Amino acid sequence: MAQLTARSLSLGYDKSTIVADLSLELPAGEVTMIVGANGCGKSTLLRGMSRLLKPSGGSVVLDGKDIHAQPAREIAKVLGLLPQTPIAPDGITVRELVGRGRYPHQGWFRRWSSEDDDAVARAMHATGTEELSDRPIDELSGGQRQRVWIAMALAQETDLLLLDEPTTYLDVAHQLEVLDVVADLNRRRNTTVAIVLHDLNLAARYADHLVALKDGEIYAQGHPAAVVTETMVHDVFGMPSRVIPDPVAGTPLVLPIGRNRVVRDINHDENAARAAAGRPTGTLPPVPAAAAAGEGVRPADGDDRQSGGDGVVPAEGAGLRPALEACPTLAYTLTAVAATTLSPSYRRVTFTGEDLAHFGTGGHPLDLRIKLVIPGEGGGVDHFAALRPDGRIADADVTGWYRNWLQIDPAERGWLRTYSIRSFRPAGHPGNMGGHAEIDVDFVLHVKREDGRLVGGPASVWAATAEPGDTITMLGPNANRCGPDYAGIEFRPGSARRILLAGDETAAPAICSILETLPPGMTGNAFIEVPTVDDIQGSFTRSGVSVQWLPRGSNPHGEMLDNAVRSAVAIPAAGAVVAGREPEDIDVDETILWETAGGGNQPFYAWLAGEAGTIKELRRYLVRDAGMNRKQVSFMGYWRRGKSEM
Amino acid sequence: MLKRADTAPATAPADANASREAALSASIGADSSAARGTGRRVRRVGAVLAGAVVVLFIARVVLGSPVVYLDQLAQILAGETVPGLSFIVLEHRLPAASVGAMAGAALGLSGTVFQTLLRNPLASPDVIGVGYGAATAAVTGMLAFGLAGPLLSAVAFAGGLVVALFVYFMADSGKHTGGRFILIGIGVAAMLQAVLNYLLTRTDVRAAGDALHWLVGSLSSSTWERAGTILLSLVVLVPLTALAVSKLKILELGDDAASGLGLDVRRTRAALVVLGVALSACTIAVTGPIAFVAFLAGPLARLLAGRTNFACSAFVGAALVLAADFAGANLFGDISLPAGVITGALGAPFLLWLLVRSNKQGMGG
Ligand SMILES: Cc1cc2nc3c(=O)[nH]c(=O)nc-3n(C[C@H](O)[C@H](O)[C@H](O)COP(=O)(O)OP(=O)(O)OC[C@H]3O[C@@H](n4cnc5c(N)ncnc54)[C@H](O)[C@@H]3O)c2cc1C
Repeated sequence: MAQLTARSLSLGYDKSTIVADLSLELPAGEVTMIVGANGCGKSTLLRGMSRLLKPSGGSVVLDGKDIHAQPAREIAKVLGLLPQTPIAPDGITVRELVGRGRYPHQGWFRRWSSEDDDAVARAMHATGTEELSDRPIDELSGGQRQRVWIAMALAQETDLLLLDEPTTYLDVAHQLEVLDVVADLNRRRNTTVAIVLHDLNLAARYADHLVALKDGEIYAQGHPAAVVTETMVHDVFGMPSRVIPDPVAGTPLVLPIGRNRVVRDINHDENAARAAAGRPTGTLPPVPAAAAAGEGVRPADGDDRQSGGDGVVPAEGAGLRPALEACPTLAYTLTAVAATTLSPSYRRVTFTGEDLAHFGTGGHPLDLRIKLVIPGEGGGVDHFAALRPDGRIADADVTGWYRNWLQIDPAERGWLRTYSIRSFRPAGHPGNMGGHAEIDVDFVLHVKREDGRLVGGPASVWAATAEPGDTITMLGPNANRCGPDYAGIEFRPGSARRILLAGDETAAPAICSILETLPPGMTGNAFIEVPTVDDIQGSFTRSGVSVQWLPRGSNPHGEMLDNAVRSAVAIPAAGAVVAGREPEDIDVDETILWETAGGGNQPFYAWLAGEAGTIKELRRYLVRDAGMNRKQVSFMGYWRRGKSEM
Repeated sequence: MLKRADTAPATAPADANASREAALSASIGADSSAARGTGRRVRRVGAVLAGAVVVLFIARVVLGSPVVYLDQLAQILAGETVPGLSFIVLEHRLPAASVGAMAGAALGLSGTVFQTLLRNPLASPDVIGVGYGAATAAVTGMLAFGLAGPLLSAVAFAGGLVVALFVYFMADSGKHTGGRFILIGIGVAAMLQAVLNYLLTRTDVRAAGDALHWLVGSLSSSTWERAGTILLSLVVLVPLTALAVSKLKILELGDDAASGLGLDVRRTRAALVVLGVALSACTIAVTGPIAFVAFLAGPLARLLAGRTNFACSAFVGAALVLAADFAGANLFGDISLPAGVITGALGAPFLLWLLVRSNKQGMGG
């Protein structure tokens, strides 16, 4: 595959230097988009890289050889170029124009051949211009014409394709049409593509690799999710903006903020809820029709059954209290009503059950953790009967149930695994499928298939094969006993107005949930590292927190997250601030890394969760190098490499 | 193939398939015939134009006073001597017609090369002064140094090239081929015409009479020797032009696109300028500047064929010169007008029209 690299490249016209000492490598087989403000040198860079402009310093190297040291025609067999304003000769037909792309493959003696015919046919097929083949160019629309030009560049059959502003003068539909053609080409033929584009949002959507250029220098480059930030937009385009996930593509979407026409202080959540509930107050969920259809006006719930005292209640009676009154943690019987594979790494299971009427902390779940009981081989016996909403429990067991459970034969008791509540919808919520409350849990699938069997952690395997109708036991807060200060919620920003949220894929559900609650005045960064680009999900926040998804690809786990956090939280200037002391070491192989804080009165708060080794590194950086007050940070190891968690 | 032929009549679905295939191939047929449509038109127009050149050539040889009948012409060509006619046909009309056809073709090619290269129909060598550059150099060479034959052609070529390069660099290395370029060219042409006038008034009357055709090109002084000079030049230049046209087709797409396709834009452009000048100069050294043939041939051929085509331009150029010479010799009674006067009279209105139109389009740069 062709590899094009600029090495300390300097470019300019006459005496003015436009690009100075720039080094750039176009990732082979990927789509690179070059963005920047007008006059930043992006087109000049493309001209330099495509041999149109002789460098005043440095070199452009194609597959190890300087492009200016090779015959133009040889280069043109490997490197195709579509300039900004090519000229269509009068009266030329589409097919003829596309055929001109074969020029580099023809010699003094080698004339038009069937190979050329084939290449032209392929190029026209790839761009959907076959039907136009005999039409004169002048009769075509702008989008069609641009597709024909791309077809010409394709007929050149090069491994590399450079396009300079291929969407200028096109309306939106045609812009997408053109970029889709290029994306298809990249996918099907593995062509390495570099495009100069002025539309940042389209660039972010279609790029594998985004290069932001400022004053002839690379300001940032990498995956769009990592490059497109409010800071970057501000620095490169000189414009304040909000960056939100593109609801269509999941890529970053830049919303420019001008001086006028900015909506202030609107509570989107509330409005949305009101609109959805169809009632102006919108605070009380309406009584679900299915439940209300019973004999009384009151929906059937656990209380009825409890007072009814049926056979489920342990016979001993004396010394036992209703779990509902006694236990902060209840065991809920849940049934899966939906299981959807969101992306290669995520599967969302939506649970429901009448028990959920007792679930919650009275407030938003934030990063509320629950435990799921993944059934083992045994089964049959309900080890959590006493913890069920209708259960009765001995005082000793209110705190001792876990110890008791550990006594049971592991093969029989199953596995306890910790997950976050991605969202909790009380009964009557318009998004619910049935009459009861519902919970979404997003499972990371770290499974592989061996001999036709799924192999992986038990929770992961369970989730991978979960189907509607499956039941499971969940341990979670009892709404009767737990308030918003429930210990299973760790996100406690206190009075901080600037926050940092960082985590890997297991923390993504918690972070997305937290983001939804943040008020408009809050600023800061959220970094979420996920395995692949496809795992990027839509996240919503009213706050000014900029959300960046970091698709890991082939990078080591945590590396991108680490870099992102380091760039967001700078090390104070030497001497200005006393950096913190080395935090005491935590051997993540032995203990769980769990150091939480909150409710402070500092302006900055950080919440970090994910693989313990990664979080440990971040902890060292933030506490020791950046000198962050530990009362302002929560570090949570959500899982450990090579270890099972409970 | 065989299999399908066997089963097709047997089963209904196969029938449906066959008919769909037939429809498909019919539509493909329609497609490619449409594709051939434009090519066919060019070829048809080319054939008609070639025919017109032949007819005009014969007409130029046989018509006039005295009229040569075709059987007499056949006799003459067979080598028999027809008294009173042989000399006129062999030493006068035939070489004149040959020079006219070749000169016209060369001018047509030269003009179309320039017009396409500079993307401006006004940018033909006669309008921008290249023709007068060649003529001035030729007249100087002839009057001052007594040059003739191929050497004269070479001097004409040098003169044309100097003017071409001068105009080219005055207009910012050819970056601007709009109004500015044309105006510089027209200025240079006017200046050179004055120089030519001056040179001719300074020489003795007999030589000046002979040299009159340098001001308005004509075929009157055509000889076999001069025809040979043009033929020699064309034998070299036409194949080169054919090669260059394939590159010009790429250059037409714009400098950047052409570079992207691996064309050395600067060298190609320089080569095309030299070629265009050479095509003009080789004829001008013989006939003088036959006004506006180079300028008219390309656009007229385009009008007829629907697109730029170099062969058609060459035929139109040849036809124009032959027709103009024929008209000048035969349509004005006793007076015989040089071909250049006729083409000038035809070309001037067209030039004005183009100038007015380009001004409206604001080609001021
Ligand atoms: C408070 C809290 C909230 C959490 N929220 C979520 C959540 O919302 N969604 C979610 O998916 N996870 C979440 N986790 C993490 C989850 O509990 C662990 O990933 C857990 O190990 C999964 O259990 P398992 O049975 O699949 O694998 P285990 O049996 O625990 O482990 C088996 C093997 O898989 C490895 N492993 C475990 N997790 C991963 C992983 N994510 N990627 C690669 N290898 C892994 C282990 O190192 C071990 O080698 C949360 C953890 C905590 C503590």
